[in-house]
Amino acid sequence: MNKKKTSLLALPYGLWMAGFIAIPLFMVFCYGLTDRSGTFTLANVLAIATPEHRKALVLSLLLSAVSTFLCLLIAFPLALILRGRRIGRGSFILFVFILPMWMNFLLRTMAWQTLLEKNGVINALLGILGLPALSIINTPAAIVLGMVYNFLPFMVLPVYNTLAKIDDNVINAARDLGAGPFQTLIRILLPLSVPGIISGITMVFIPALTTFVISNLLGGSKILLIGNVIEQEFTRGSNWNLGAGLSMVLMIFILISMTFVAKYDKNGEGTAL
Amino acid sequence: MKTIQSRLKRFFEDFYLVFTLIFLYAPIAVMMVLSFNSSKSRSQWGGFTFEWYRHMFESAAIMDALYNTLLIAFLSALIATVLGTVAAIGVNGMKKLPQTLFMGLNNIPMLNSDIVTGISLMLMFIAFGISLGFKTILLAHITFNVPYVMLSVLPKLKQTSRYAYEAAMDLGAGPVQAFFKVVFPDILPGVISGFLMAFTMSLDDFIITHFTRGAGINTLSTLIYSEVRRGIKPSMYALSTVIFTTVLALLLITNFAPAKAPKEDRREGRQTSFGTAFRRTAMIGAAFLVCIGVGYTSFRHFASTHSDELFVYNWGEYIDESVIAQFEEETGIHVTYDLFDTNEEMYPVIEAGAIQYDAVCPSDYMIQRMAENELLAELNYDNIPNAANIGEEYFTRSEEFDPGNLYAVPYCWGTVGILYNSRRLEELGISPPTGWADLWDPRYRGEILMQDSVRDAFMVALKRLGYSMNSTDEAELREARDLLLAQKPLVQAYVVDQVRDKMLNGEAAVGVIYSGELLYLQEEAEALGLDYELTYVIPTEGTNIWIDSWVIPYNARNKENAEKWINFLCRPDIAKKNFEYITYATPNAAAFALLAPAYRENTQVFPDVSSLVNSEVYRYLGTEADDLYGALWKEIKAQ
Amino acid sequence: MHPSLIDLVHISKSFDGELVLDDLNLSVRENSFVTLLGPSGCGKTTTLRIIGGFERPDAGSVIFNGENITDMPPNRRQLNTVFQKYALFSHMNIAENIAFGLKIKGKSKDYIQDKIQYALKLVNLSGFENRSVDSLSGGQQQRIAIARAIVNEPKLLLLDEPLGALDLKLRQDMQYELIRLKNELGITFIYVTHDQEEALTMSDTIVVMNQGYIQQMGTPEQIYNEPENAFVADFIGESNIVDGTMLHDELVEIFGAKFACVDKGFGVNKPVDVVIRPEDIDLVKPSEGTLTGIVTHLIFKGVHYEMEVTTPNGYEWLVHSTDMFPVGQEVGIHVDPFDIQIMNKPESEDEEAVGVNE
Repeated sequence: MNKKKTSLLALPYGLWMAGFIAIPLFMVFCYGLTDRSGTFTLANVLAIATPEHRKALVLSLLLSAVSTFLCLLIAFPLALILRGRRIGRGSFILFVFILPMWMNFLLRTMAWQTLLEKNGVINALLGILGLPALSIINTPAAIVLGMVYNFLPFMVLPVYNTLAKIDDNVINAARDLGAGPFQTLIRILLPLSVPGIISGITMVFIPALTTFVISNLLGGSKILLIGNVIEQEFTRGSNWNLGAGLSMVLMIFILISMTFVAKYDKNGEGTAL
Repeated sequence: MKTIQSRLKRFFEDFYLVFTLIFLYAPIAVMMVLSFNSSKSRSQWGGFTFEWYRHMFESAAIMDALYNTLLIAFLSALIATVLGTVAAIGVNGMKKLPQTLFMGLNNIPMLNSDIVTGISLMLMFIAFGISLGFKTILLAHITFNVPYVMLSVLPKLKQTSRYAYEAAMDLGAGPVQAFFKVVFPDILPGVISGFLMAFTMSLDDFIITHFTRGAGINTLSTLIYSEVRRGIKPSMYALSTVIFTTVLALLLITNFAPAKAPKEDRREGRQTSFGTAFRRTAMIGAAFLVCIGVGYTSFRHFASTHSDELFVYNWGEYIDESVIAQFEEETGIHVTYDLFDTNEEMYPVIEAGAIQYDAVCPSDYMIQRMAENELLAELNYDNIPNAANIGEEYFTRSEEFDPGNLYAVPYCWGTVGILYNSRRLEELGISPPTGWADLWDPRYRGEILMQDSVRDAFMVALKRLGYSMNSTDEAELREARDLLLAQKPLVQAYVVDQVRDKMLNGEAAVGVIYSGELLYLQEEAEALGLDYELTYVIPTEGTNIWIDSWVIPYNARNKENAEKWINFLCRPDIAKKNFEYITYATPNAAAFALLAPAYRENTQVFPDVSSLVNSEVYRYLGTEADDLYGALWKEIKAQ
Repeated sequence: MHPSLIDLVHISKSFDGELVLDDLNLSVRENSFVTLLGPSGCGKTTTLRIIGGFERPDAGSVIFNGENITDMPPNRRQLNTVFQKYALFSHMNIAENIAFGLKIKGKSKDYIQDKIQYALKLVNLSGFENRSVDSLSGGQQQRIAIARAIVNEPKLLLLDEPLGALDLKLRQDMQYELIRLKNELGITFIYVTHDQEEALTMSDTIVVMNQGYIQQMGTPEQIYNEPENAFVADFIGESNIVDGTMLHDELVEIFGAKFACVDKGFGVNKPVDVVIRPEDIDLVKPSEGTLTGIVTHLIFKGVHYEMEVTTPNGYEWLVHSTDMFPVGQEVGIHVDPFDIQIMNKPESEDEEAVGVNE
């Protein structure tokens, strides 16, 4: 096949991308940079600086950073253990980690409400054990828990993928050269799984940053994240221009993450399943 | 012979795995248990039942959503796979620079947050006058699916040797033939896993669907989200349980039934195991779901042929579904019944005219807004003789938002008040609330459930201050905002219809609630044998009287059918049946007369309208005031 | 006599219930070059991994320099390994790879710098400090892997099929390189390979393994010329292994013909296996041969001709000779007595695995 002719095969999807990726993004800019009457303004973008938007954004950044960190903290040992298990049982364990993704995530999150409520399942269990009740429902902690729960697989997957690709002998070599288990972890396993970690971080951080569902369900609507602000501007029909303007601010963070991915995950190995 | 160390390590690893598994599966277990709970409440066990499973199969809304979900997942994955595979071949042949650009653009939907992708697509569809509906969801899903297909096909293409292709040509195959005989089999695993990934992603999506769906079409995700606001019906848990256990069973069968796979090299095996596991899970699940889908499609195909139609747009859970069936039976008109969750969600749908509904049931202030914007058709009362059954006082009240009663026939009405948990108040040592002002009592810290809507929240504050709930005076509104800010530390959560479940479960001492929930609450409390009473008071400062009414949009295609529909709903026996199901007060005087005395004497549900002196009906306040309310509300929420 | 550096004492190991090593005993002298040779799955790599500390034996102990190190983790053992496929750290450059072990031990910067220079020079890759691992060829990566190991000055270097991934020419060059390194450094090498030529070229001791047992241990010459059983004979080089009968000491009957040999003590009229190397068969005139046959195949191999000579009973003898006999010609087969190797027949399959060295 002639190379030029072959590249032409990309044309249909190229047009598709123009129509369904480029133009829609352009529309966000159109709305974001105009007011209701259609005149140019930067007010919608600058609105991020108003105290309530700034608070929402800062809180979103904080909660998603904490969630991402916790996801990594949980996922890395998990991926390490999964890596160490033999294939026969290992594959079943992997099924087990994928299976929850087939349940609707709204329902799963809803179920957490049942678990966490004041008179919920967890407090009932704690009561039986004679322990003091937890009250984390409708707090930022509950939102973080929801984020970690929902996005954990997106961290486990890429981290596991990169870890699994590391040759056993590379680890043996480190041990052989005098590194203890901890040094091997710090000097070999961690640096070698950086592409997976970066990809996992973006795959958790971005959805966590922009979620509005989890904060609604587990935050009792008392906690306003930037995703809630944008969603409400659109679905409660108040101000689409403002919503689009704030979305543009969010895109900055997405650009940053794209740059990171491009830098550290050149071969897309972290994202590949 | 193992050392203690390695045993200990193994133990900790197992413990960690089990702990993670509990974390992952606890909510799922809860869901499964709830699917057998005869009480609708999420946190009260009412006994074991299969009722929800029956209900699930009978519910048109759930089955429609399932069908849409599967069809969209299948079609979008299929189209994305073709588009993506062809594009991947093209990209593979590109020079470095165009390739980088192409892939950069391709990666955007994957890295972009769903909310931005969803919004951008929605804006585009609207700008180009594409009405939101099934096809826009499909287009959106294809758009975010293609990158996943590319992601799994491209690496396979890169591995494929160019020589094999050239060898095939050398042996006499044409370029296309050579491709299908030599290259395609090589990349097939990538194509399949791309398809399955796309299928799963589409199945799981909520946010993008949320923004690109039109009214009247639901996938499972959006259906569940709309139910979240008013409490998820356990039939949803039943459906999830069925899907989950089926996928699990299929997995276990395929995983353990066949003899052990030939031993692979340990390292090699593990490299692919995650992908294989994922593929196998997805493949089985997809096959299962597609089967259901195909079955249901054929079922629908045979079930739906009709000429006389009516498109109804109503609140969720706001009709006894058997009433629809009865209407269809009596009139021979086929009803397409769609749901909305908020007035604000409904309005742009009617305004855009993308879907032409014949009968819609908005609330008071929204009817005013629609009338002012000429979105409503005048009713021909000659075709609605049963309107005479509606109590005169309700038509009088309606004049506040519908002068001359030109457009709206009242359907349900009620008040907003305070529900309190008698035992909880005793524990806290507080006497029962009488007015809104009591909701600022610091002893209620963490015990108050407020309504999560701008107008309702401000109504409470404005009424407490003695102002009109329709105030547009900025100073008054700021005062109300400050009051609400001061209240926020006392509030446990801002909720919509969940206040019902939470109060039932004893989560809070007091909650602001719509009177329509009362009968349900009181019946459920009795059924569960709760040791506390839930009592409703209408605050002395006055409250909101709301009236939801049937209207006909200006662009209705079946106006006469719509009038038949409204007339039908005003029939006393139908209104009574409906009331007994939805338990929101009916303005239908003739139906009221038919009710059991226990209902008629329930002044919490049926207060004397004329006695509610300080109470008002919401009016539409205009864009400017809306923005002001919205901005102030955001300040409260962000605090 | 050098004292022994490492001793494996009654080592057994099984994976998933499958016995990989069965009561293995091995002693390696200081400053020797020992090769573990065998087909894949014979247990040679497992033996190496047990020495390296990457596997724990189910039973038995590993004695290093007189100290029992069976339970010692690999990072505390005074030996280093050169891995199959090199196992270089791809996130570090060459210098960092080589410095890894020294940094872990907390050596000074200057010391590490010196060592890097010294090691790179030793493997002929001076100037490669800042290159990335990916930019190196297979042979170069192999040298770095060796450099990375030897800067730690181990007493014992374990090499796990280090040349397996290289092409033939490079492999031969590296063989000489390894011998040179071994001589310059004066450390003990334990080398694992399935390539008999590699083993014969480099080692001073070869340990032939099969199915978890040591089949034969000896110098390359002993292994080649005096294989103790059919497995070793078959595995090392090409051989004609035929059924024979030991008529009495120093006389064996093969296919009805009597051959003089030098072996004794097998008894009278005892069935045995007879091993004759292809290059030890002299093709002569039919009248001068002990056996006669017809040349059925002829290939020119450069240094010699490879022929197949079929005797009347149908057996095809493999013969290497610098003299050429055309296909179809009748020839005589003659073998010098000391070129005939007699072995006992194994009595069962099990014994075949265990061999005759008990």
